[in-house]
Amino acid sequence: MAIFSFLFRKQKMVEDLIYTYLDNIGLAEANFLKAFDIYFDKGRRSRKFDLLTAETHKAESRSDDIRVEIETLMYAKVLIPESREDILELLEAIDMIPNCCQRILYVIQTQNLVVPPFLYPDIKELIKISLESCHLVRQEVDALFREPELLQKLSIAIDINESACDQLERRLITQLFNSELDTYQKILIKELILEMGDITDRTNRISRRINIMSIKRRV
Amino acid sequence: MTYLLSGIFLGWSLGANNGANLFGSAVTSKMLKFQTAAILASIFVLIGAIWQGQPGIETIKGLTQLNLKLATISSIAAAITVTVMTFCRLPISTSQAVVGALVGVGLIKGQLNLDGIGKVVTCWFGTPIGGLLVSITVYKVFGALYNRFGLNLFQGDIFLRLALIMSGCYCAYALGANNVANVTAVFVGAGLLSILAASIIGGLSIGLGIITYSKGVMETVGSQLVKLDAFSALVVVLSEAITVHFYTIVGVPVSASQAVIGAVLGVGIVKSISTIRRQTLGAIAIGWFMTPVVAAFFSLILFLIFRP
Repeated sequence: MAIFSFLFRKQKMVEDLIYTYLDNIGLAEANFLKAFDIYFDKGRRSRKFDLLTAETHKAESRSDDIRVEIETLMYAKVLIPESREDILELLEAIDMIPNCCQRILYVIQTQNLVVPPFLYPDIKELIKISLESCHLVRQEVDALFREPELLQKLSIAIDINESACDQLERRLITQLFNSELDTYQKILIKELILEMGDITDRTNRISRRINIMSIKRRV
Repeated sequence: MTYLLSGIFLGWSLGANNGANLFGSAVTSKMLKFQTAAILASIFVLIGAIWQGQPGIETIKGLTQLNLKLATISSIAAAITVTVMTFCRLPISTSQAVVGALVGVGLIKGQLNLDGIGKVVTCWFGTPIGGLLVSITVYKVFGALYNRFGLNLFQGDIFLRLALIMSGCYCAYALGANNVANVTAVFVGAGLLSILAASIIGGLSIGLGIITYSKGVMETVGSQLVKLDAFSALVVVLSEAITVHFYTIVGVPVSASQAVIGAVLGVGIVKSISTIRRQTLGAIAIGWFMTPVVAAFFSLILFLIFRP
């Protein structure tokens, strides 16, 4: 089909933009992780934490811009209607991940939230697994575009991560409410934990959507 | 040349109505610009008409003996039938209109080739059934191959778009080869045109109809086909092309729209879904029976008015 490539120039542009979009999402996630490392290390008051929160926002914002660019190209008659619809919905779902990361950092930043150190190990683990799932989702998108046979394996890994995060979430909330912290502080931190747990829930939903997209393409 | 105008009008309306069956889904889903689709369709219609239009022309001209005035009457009667039936929003087959008009003229003159008419009517029954059977086969065979290649999203997209465009071109070729006889065969029978000239004039007039007036119909019919998934739309167009091409080889002009209807029903059977509403099927059945009768009636009226 290479000889017809000139006919599909816009399609190639969409493909390239989707990969740029995914790279930006990856950048937002990396900044999110660094911000948390700083938070665990130096606390909320560190200037670097603010800087990384701003960087996460920038990457998220750039992703939005790329998504708009992709949408505009799609409406300019690129791809068959089913693919257009599927890709637009997929990008919309993926977009929730950097939004989620940004929201978590903003909660800490604006509310000056102090997470008690006894929760650190599990929160670190929760963030690690959540970001691993985000990475797997990006791999899944790549597999959808290049090697559909890898999808099942990736999907299983994301599902396992989601279960692990659910357990961690429950354990964290139990530890939190068994502690001597003020009730209002418990509630605020619980909200933060739920927001963190939401990342793997979203990755799992995206993974299912990708699987459906792949199955739909079988006759 | 004035005599030919009725045939050219018939070819024009045939092109305007049938353009949708060729590239409707590709244009409606914005895979292809209308202008590109119309030009491609017109080119392939013309090639089909010149390359393989002869057997159909031989069949139609052999249905009855015509002089130039009778040929013109039958052509005008067919054109009026197409216009009236389209106005009444009934699905129309130009082939049935032409044959109906010829039967009307033949009845008055007492010169009817019953064997030829029998063959044509049998093929009319066979067109939707053929479309149905071909689409079931094409769906299963192509579906198995498509799954076996394991194409990713972008590859699958490229494949479907290219295949839809190629099938549309093949379908245009088959339409030109099959339906050119409806447009100018009567003038070959009357000795006004050679087969080659009839093929060229017929092909050009169908192409003109596609380019100038098929956009609206293409968008209406195409949007109905697009309700099917892209693969099913491809199967429908390809099955239509194969069915119409088969009857071209047999030498009988048939209705591309009826082949499409059969193919859409076939896809519905494979996928166990309802693809056509009962109301639409009823309208198709009425159109199927009424078209030749109405055309014969109009040719009788015109014969009585002009008494050649």
